[in-house]
Amino acid sequence: MSDRSELIAVGKPFSFDAERDAEFERLITRYPIRESMIMPALWLVQEQDGWICAEAISYIAERIGTYPAKVFELATFYTMYHLKPVGRHHICVCRTLSCYLRDKQEIVDYLAEEIGIRPGQVSEDGKFSLEEVECLGHCGTAPVVQLDGEFHEAMDAKKLKALLATLD
Amino acid sequence: MEVKLLSARFDIKDAHLLEVAKAHGAYETLDKLFTMTPVQVMEEVKNSGLRGRGGAGFPTGVKWSFLPKNLDKPVYLAVNSDESEPATFKDRYILVKDPHMMIEGIIICCYAIGCHDAYIYIRGEYTSQVKILQKAVDEAYAAGYLGAAVGGKDFRLDVTVHRGAGAYICGEETALLESIEGKKGQPRSKPPFPAVVGLYDCPTIINNVQSIASLPFILANGADAYRVYGTEKSPGTHLFGISGHVEKPGMYELPLGQPLLEVIDKVAGGVWKGRKLKGIIPGGSSTPVLTPEEAKTVTLDYESMAAHKTMFGSGGIVVLDETVDIVKLVENLISFYHHESCGQCTPCREGLGWMLKIVKKLLAGDGGREDIDLLVELCDNIEMKTVCVLSAACTMPVRSYLNKFRHEFEAYAAEKASAKPDLREE
Amino acid sequence: MAEMVKLFVNGQEVAVEQGKNLIDALKVVGIEIPHFCYHPALGADGNCRMCLVGIEDGRPPLVPACKTPAMEGMKVLLDAEHIKKIQHDVLELELINHPIDCPVCDQAGECTLQDYYMTYSLDDSRRGVEPVKKGKRMDLGCGVVHDQERCVLCARCVRFTRQITRTGELGIVNRSDEARVAIFPGKPLDNRYALNIVDICPVGAMTSSDFRFRQRVWFLKKDEGICHGCSKGCNIYIDHHREKYKDDMIYRFRARTNLQVNGYFICDEGRLSYHRENENRQSQTRVDGGVVGFEEGIKAFRSRLDTARKPLMLLSADCTLEQMWAVKRIANLYGAGLSGYSDASVLPGDGDDYLIQDDKAANRKGLELLGIDSSKESFMAALQDADLLVNFNNDLFFSNINDELRPLLDSKECIAVCSHARKLFEKAAIIIPTASYSEYGGTIVNGDGVLQLFRKAVTKNDDPHDILEITRLLGGAIVDAARAWPGIRQSVAVLSAVQPEQIPAEGLKLQSSEEPHVGS
Repeated sequence: MSDRSELIAVGKPFSFDAERDAEFERLITRYPIRESMIMPALWLVQEQDGWICAEAISYIAERIGTYPAKVFELATFYTMYHLKPVGRHHICVCRTLSCYLRDKQEIVDYLAEEIGIRPGQVSEDGKFSLEEVECLGHCGTAPVVQLDGEFHEAMDAKKLKALLATLD
Repeated sequence: MEVKLLSARFDIKDAHLLEVAKAHGAYETLDKLFTMTPVQVMEEVKNSGLRGRGGAGFPTGVKWSFLPKNLDKPVYLAVNSDESEPATFKDRYILVKDPHMMIEGIIICCYAIGCHDAYIYIRGEYTSQVKILQKAVDEAYAAGYLGAAVGGKDFRLDVTVHRGAGAYICGEETALLESIEGKKGQPRSKPPFPAVVGLYDCPTIINNVQSIASLPFILANGADAYRVYGTEKSPGTHLFGISGHVEKPGMYELPLGQPLLEVIDKVAGGVWKGRKLKGIIPGGSSTPVLTPEEAKTVTLDYESMAAHKTMFGSGGIVVLDETVDIVKLVENLISFYHHESCGQCTPCREGLGWMLKIVKKLLAGDGGREDIDLLVELCDNIEMKTVCVLSAACTMPVRSYLNKFRHEFEAYAAEKASAKPDLREE
Repeated sequence: MAEMVKLFVNGQEVAVEQGKNLIDALKVVGIEIPHFCYHPALGADGNCRMCLVGIEDGRPPLVPACKTPAMEGMKVLLDAEHIKKIQHDVLELELINHPIDCPVCDQAGECTLQDYYMTYSLDDSRRGVEPVKKGKRMDLGCGVVHDQERCVLCARCVRFTRQITRTGELGIVNRSDEARVAIFPGKPLDNRYALNIVDICPVGAMTSSDFRFRQRVWFLKKDEGICHGCSKGCNIYIDHHREKYKDDMIYRFRARTNLQVNGYFICDEGRLSYHRENENRQSQTRVDGGVVGFEEGIKAFRSRLDTARKPLMLLSADCTLEQMWAVKRIANLYGAGLSGYSDASVLPGDGDDYLIQDDKAANRKGLELLGIDSSKESFMAALQDADLLVNFNNDLFFSNINDELRPLLDSKECIAVCSHARKLFEKAAIIIPTASYSEYGGTIVNGDGVLQLFRKAVTKNDDPHDILEITRLLGGAIVDAARAWPGIRQSVAVLSAVQPEQIPAEGLKLQSSEEPHVGS
């Protein structure tokens, strides 16, 4: 992994919207200790904003009653938490074993050449962000692309091109 | 060769919905379940010989029996749906095709072990799958299969879906518990084992999705019916995931004990594009590779794999065709484990990165034979010196590639004209 | 007393405490097991893997010693080739991303990595690849400076802030070899014990901005001492050094373990109070404003005392029992009043429930034991009557709460026997410089009634006279600390059996039921 410890502060406080607030309160009853809510709360932040800013980490720590450093630890340890803004459409290309064997590189190269983004980047227009990720558990239908949380199996550059063309 | 015990409802449209699943037999074992004592259920599972389907193959019923008796603490069940071993995707089929089979299994398990609070730990990557799973749990609550009175009986069971967020190590059972507790997924030293001190310091059973999903069949049909399939020591069926260079990759349910090469040829359509076989990874990326010669005598069960100095693992079979560059494959492999090292123990944290850099050096043409020897030595120096087996999950397969395909590493080393000057004296 | 068990280390039978982890249990019998992450105050973590030992016939055969309790008949393998190889290999892995910058590292000379390298490796580096780049010279707050590249991720510092101070400022972020210790941005270390992190860091990852680059540690003489910052009496190391052509100076205090008093740690204020030992010292003897020789000063002191109608002696509650006794004796000799009044050294509410005490005096209990009146009322009354105040290093204005005293004091002639140049002493007719606590030895009793002995650590070029010696020069009979004890034993019941040289290292807990003073 690369260093994830450079948090971004947006300069204004974070708080859950009504929907997430209710979900937080519902979930917290399911655990005997409040710290179990750190991961679910980080997910709620990401659902709400698309990524997790420094203020949101403070907010969670305060809400749960734990140290900000502890929430910081979790946010950086678990790599699916976005600690910087992503594009309107977030593309994850699996880079591991079976997808590697079935030429995930063609997809990554296509995105670099046609869209101009490399793993870890956001396109200039903010439309796409790309991440190469470890095994997504779709090895039997490799290579797989996860686009905005939906899986697209047995992909190749041609199929991806058609798929991306359908997006705003 | 294929059988349909666990996958019986996989082909039925919308079987993930309670209504459809119920129409095809879901939750039918519950009536029988509540006529049995928990001890009887545990015995039935023990007798079935069901072995943990997460990778280690430890007998499920025996694991349950490690729970201390007469405790004043709650007992927890954590269902391991972290399925993150590369080349493993079988549990996903259960989660999306037949989640109610798993929930039914959870009820059976919890009844047997006296648990009233179960957590399903699902890997964060399963973004669309978690929605289907959560819906199934919600439906089960609404129908009274979960909640204060399971199936109308005096048995409370709450099931909570807990999402991971991108960490392979959380498939390790104690890392999984740490993660539920709101910590980094860093494995715990054992002993104590989770059955004694687990989630929230309480006795805890951690079972894989497929192990749990096997329970309704065993309970409905009895241990002997389960033992009809498979071998004496590896009874039952397994959801095998076949991927890599085959014509028909995918998930196939097979009885244990089938010949590996026959399965690849007959079930998965053989090596793709008419190419020759170079090697087979038999049970997920962490299992040592088999050469085509070795593979000839391998059958798909725990004992045969062990006899061939590899492991059954998670049943994720990967076929490598003749075009595979083993050194690049190893780079990909170490890169994965390096990325996923939790960073706790020195050997794994520091060693995997070092190994990755050495392989990269070889690939760049800057490495020598001494680097190959160093890689072999590092495998030994790192392996089993850590709290968990993540480091071994990397070094065991890497060592197998270094041993069985050493000439490919040497070909890269040979590109380096001669040893570089020793800079240490500077 | 814990039960003892017999076990075997490399075949050799040893008797150790049952159930204690192998690192601590075997340390007692002189067997060292290398480790980075284990710390007795923080418990076992098991992450460094340096303490892996073999257990013959054991399952598993390889265990971390820090997590393995000593049990009867256990066969521990330490010197087996495969164990030595693990120690060697783990060390190599600890060093693979380490900057190896010992020449510029503050920790050099007291670094576990260095020491273990000398003991377990001595091999040439096989790195051959670029190490991971991380943060350098990071200000974590409270004077703690962090170097992420030197860090071995033992997590002692993180555990300290979570388990001991419960402030939780630190965490280890990321994973793999990108893992690193960090604060949450904008939330630096903010507790009164933070500098202990520098002590417990086994390597050069945590350094003190106060000490960094001031002195190489191998030059430091490390003497045992007791902090005089408050009435806790925390045990410390006084690390001092006399540079060529310069004076003996203290460079730092470090925590010294005493499980009966302070455990493993000290507070930051106490730690940094060494500055006061070095700075603002009273070195000149003065009589009526003019600088004179010490002997001349003592002569003037004696004659003023002789001629005074009603002298009043005032003692510091920091003085040792021996000093207090000696002053008490000369007060008798000169028919002087005696007071230990020092309310100003109590800062109500400043203490916590851990080590820091409200009472900043090191030996107020000593005043009580010796029956020296410390009340404000009697001091004020005695001062009204007195025509001469002899102040033995008592800073009446320590916390500025004694302003009402000022006019009265100003009207009295004063002799100050003082270690430091303070405003209070400026107007004294006679100023006699004296030693501070790092420069003399003696016994003190902390707020919990624990009697402790400490020895002289620092010897100045122009070594100041201890109060006790000054009393001798004034004609007192107590010529040294030992000579004070027959009298102390006789007059203080609770101390009647005390032989100062035999006070145990962790101090002697005085029985509170016998505490009230008897006789005089």
